[in-house]
Amino acid sequence: MAGIGWKLQRLIDRGSLAGTIGAYLTGVAVTSAPWLLTTAVLTSLRIVARRSGTDFAVVERFLTVVYAVTVILSAPVHVVVSRYTADRLYDHHVAKIGAPLRRATALTLIGFALAGVVLVIAMRLPLAMAAVGAPLCAVIGAQWLMLSVGGGMTSPVIVLRAFGLGAPLGLCAAWALDVTFGFGAAGYLYGFAAGQLATLAVLIYGVARAIPGQADETARLAPAFREYRLLALSALAYYISIWADKIVVYLVQGGDAATFYAAIAAVSWFSVIPAFAWIYVQIETAFYRRFRAFYADIEIGAPLRKLQEGAEGIAVEARRILRGAGIVQASASGIAIVAAPLVVHAVGLSPNATPLFRLNALGAAAQMLTLLEVLLLYYFDLRRDALVISTGLLGGSAALTLLALALGWNPVLGYLVACAATSAAGVVLVRRRLSTLVLDTFQSQPFGLS
Amino acid sequence: MKSPDTQPPRTPGQRADVCLLVEGTYPFVSGGVSSWVHDIIRGHPEVSFAVLNVGSHPGAYGEPRYQLPDNVIGLHRVFCQETARPPLDGAARADLREEIRTLRAAADIRTEPSRVLAGLRRLHLEGAAEPASRLGILDDLASNDLPLNEFLYGRASFDLLTVLADRTASETPFLDLFWHYRAIHVPLLRLLAAPVVPAACYHAIATGYAGLLAAVWSRRTERPLALTEHGIYAREREMELARADWIRDAAEIDDGGFGLRTATWAPHISPLRKIWSGFFRALSRLAYAQSARIVTLSEVNRVKQVADGASAAKIDIVPNGVDLPDSGSPADDDQQPDRGLIALRPAPLRVGFVGRVVPIKDLITFIRACDLALHTAALEVRVIGPMDEDPGYAARCRDLVARLGRGQQIAFVGPMPPAQIYAELDVVVLTSFSEGQPLVILEAHARGVPAIATDVGACRELIEGREADDRAIGPSGFVTRVAAPKETAAALIRLARDPQLRRRMGAAGFRRVAAYYQRRDMLTAYRALYASLGASGADVSYSMGG
Repeated sequence: MAGIGWKLQRLIDRGSLAGTIGAYLTGVAVTSAPWLLTTAVLTSLRIVARRSGTDFAVVERFLTVVYAVTVILSAPVHVVVSRYTADRLYDHHVAKIGAPLRRATALTLIGFALAGVVLVIAMRLPLAMAAVGAPLCAVIGAQWLMLSVGGGMTSPVIVLRAFGLGAPLGLCAAWALDVTFGFGAAGYLYGFAAGQLATLAVLIYGVARAIPGQADETARLAPAFREYRLLALSALAYYISIWADKIVVYLVQGGDAATFYAAIAAVSWFSVIPAFAWIYVQIETAFYRRFRAFYADIEIGAPLRKLQEGAEGIAVEARRILRGAGIVQASASGIAIVAAPLVVHAVGLSPNATPLFRLNALGAAAQMLTLLEVLLLYYFDLRRDALVISTGLLGGSAALTLLALALGWNPVLGYLVACAATSAAGVVLVRRRLSTLVLDTFQSQPFGLS
Repeated sequence: MKSPDTQPPRTPGQRADVCLLVEGTYPFVSGGVSSWVHDIIRGHPEVSFAVLNVGSHPGAYGEPRYQLPDNVIGLHRVFCQETARPPLDGAARADLREEIRTLRAAADIRTEPSRVLAGLRRLHLEGAAEPASRLGILDDLASNDLPLNEFLYGRASFDLLTVLADRTASETPFLDLFWHYRAIHVPLLRLLAAPVVPAACYHAIATGYAGLLAAVWSRRTERPLALTEHGIYAREREMELARADWIRDAAEIDDGGFGLRTATWAPHISPLRKIWSGFFRALSRLAYAQSARIVTLSEVNRVKQVADGASAAKIDIVPNGVDLPDSGSPADDDQQPDRGLIALRPAPLRVGFVGRVVPIKDLITFIRACDLALHTAALEVRVIGPMDEDPGYAARCRDLVARLGRGQQIAFVGPMPPAQIYAELDVVVLTSFSEGQPLVILEAHARGVPAIATDVGACRELIEGREADDRAIGPSGFVTRVAAPKETAAALIRLARDPQLRRRMGAAGFRRVAAYYQRRDMLTAYRALYASLGASGADVSYSMGG
């Protein structure tokens, strides 16, 4: 069990309601706080801007595109870097972490700065906005990298502290620059950027403190991209799939429709937070314990019968988590569907968004379950299977969204069907793979290596 | 003579009269079985031979130690293992993972169950104990329908492993069982996939992997098989397995879920040893079943072979033979009982260990025995033979001599020409754990040198005689128990103190060799054997006797 897993288990083992709630709140904090706080800031900015009469649409559209681009392009990088880091921690070669991570961070900053330049040109941002738009892209791209590595190396408190500082700072700065100094829409972008920069600074500081002092400057990250290429591709496919329907809407119906659609989707994703937290706690505690016990049994010399029992235990645990996540998510989705009008109104969207929000919430639920399946496949290093699910989700989402639009239906229907179908396929695949865990573990061993 | 090489036959596809199948020995290891094989080939110049050497992995042996005679038309090599690849970096590991994944997918598309797997299942679970089933198992194995990758990565082979685990090793660490399962079968499958060397008949010089391959080729080509066993292969492997430190057994102690479990190693005999041992015994039974004739060196070994499943009716005893110094006839020797006697020397007694410095020879016991004897008698001890086969063991032996402070009296002189060896010895000592019919004793006796040997293989027959007439000649040395340095030391002291005893024993040895162990008799017997098996170069009608 990883460090956070022990802490969660201790909270649960207290047997009190407070302990259990504390564990799940920790899950919420770790899995959703950065995204929750960022979305909350963006939503708040929209509300503040509407009240002050500032045209926030350009800023909102730009930030939507920046988040889409950074999340997609950084996905392969942060998956590979975090896996590389985890492996070096596991094999006790911690000195090989620092130098590659520094280089990856520098390259990420440079790469996303260049991507930002392309974006501000492509979106024809005014110069005042463009000046901060490109650096903001770099800051957000680097945040993803720090989040992925920091999640494994630092305390969740560092992440919470970073976003806890950056979110209100960004909100306050934006408000001040617009209302007090009259910067208008650009002020929102500068203020938001200031908050994100503060977040990144705290994250880098926290990760830097967690990295061992000694550094092997000869350690290289490039080979890890080849080693983990399937993981990288899988992550890339999954993250594109999150945006695939929105991109299709953008290409078919234009920017305004896509921004509206994306805003609804962003809010609907709040409904998966409870399930995320539940999954996180379960994976880090009960499932991880089963998982470790199985491999420890192999190493310690357990007989076949015990290994088969361990594998069956893992399969049972995986089914329990899938079932539990489904139940938690169904509850959250039900609440979201019932409360849809209130939510839509609260976040400043038009009442027309209510049915879309409901369908999006259902789609997000299915996509969340798909993510759980991908994570389970990652757990057993079934990279190709994870890639199949991710690309299936991506292809299905894009194709069915397009089909829905072609048929004159709401595009979210295509997204919903694609997510549901992929999720169902993922369940089947996970169950099948876990049913042959002992066979796969042994018969995948190479032969003839020193 | 041809230069030693590992080239294919001079004429590709040319059929040899006899294909000799050896495991790890000729022509890459000197002494013992290799000398015998070389002698057989040289002794049959009218017969063309192909030699198939079953080696562990490429590079395990150096250059050939023997010049191949002209009647060897091909030297072929098959290896049980590939040379291990070096550790892979992360990217190469990822490539390998994908390669294995592809192989696994390909391995599980078979529609018909593998006959080889079916044969292996019967081999392990039934042990080829039923004579009626043995040829069926061989036919299954001879089908060679199980590619190595399918075995390594396929579901069906794993299913067989789980059956083995359930039935024979239910409490054994499965990880160990898994790797042993691979280690047992990969050599087998590599051999089954080897192309057949065409020959009029096959002659395996052991059971084991070479014997199995010979039996399989014999089934495939419908050509006859002869088997010669010097030692009893399966029993020698059992002895090695009993001492093998690469087999472990774990008993798990559960601490009640605190995650602090540890492994302890159970003292009982591991099922893994039993699986290996059963496997080698089954291989022997298969080779016995397919052999038209089984040649053994001694009555002792014949009894063991019958006990291990060989048909008594197939077994012939053909002792090893050596040339007398000037090829006199046994009748002449009887009339000249003192012929060949060594000159008696007052002291010190010149003691020789002649053979490979490997664990099965138990040189440690020899050194300890010499050390004990040196407290009482003057000895000049020589260890004569190659020391490169097991350098670690050779180093242990040298260390022991050094620790005992016997560096002056016990010398490691390495290999020597056979003609020189016995002229400089008063007694030969053999402390082996296992032997067939050691040529060393015969060669020593041929020169009137007595021997002290452990009671293994045919040693007692060589020293005390096999039949009544033979026993009447008198003892030609001493027989001791295995790993009994005090007994060996006592025998050395007796010979050192009693030159007349040494003289009588040496003379008895000479007479015994002259009467029963001449090379020409052995060659005649094998010429007859080859003729009976249809080897075109040999045309003597088959007539062998015990």
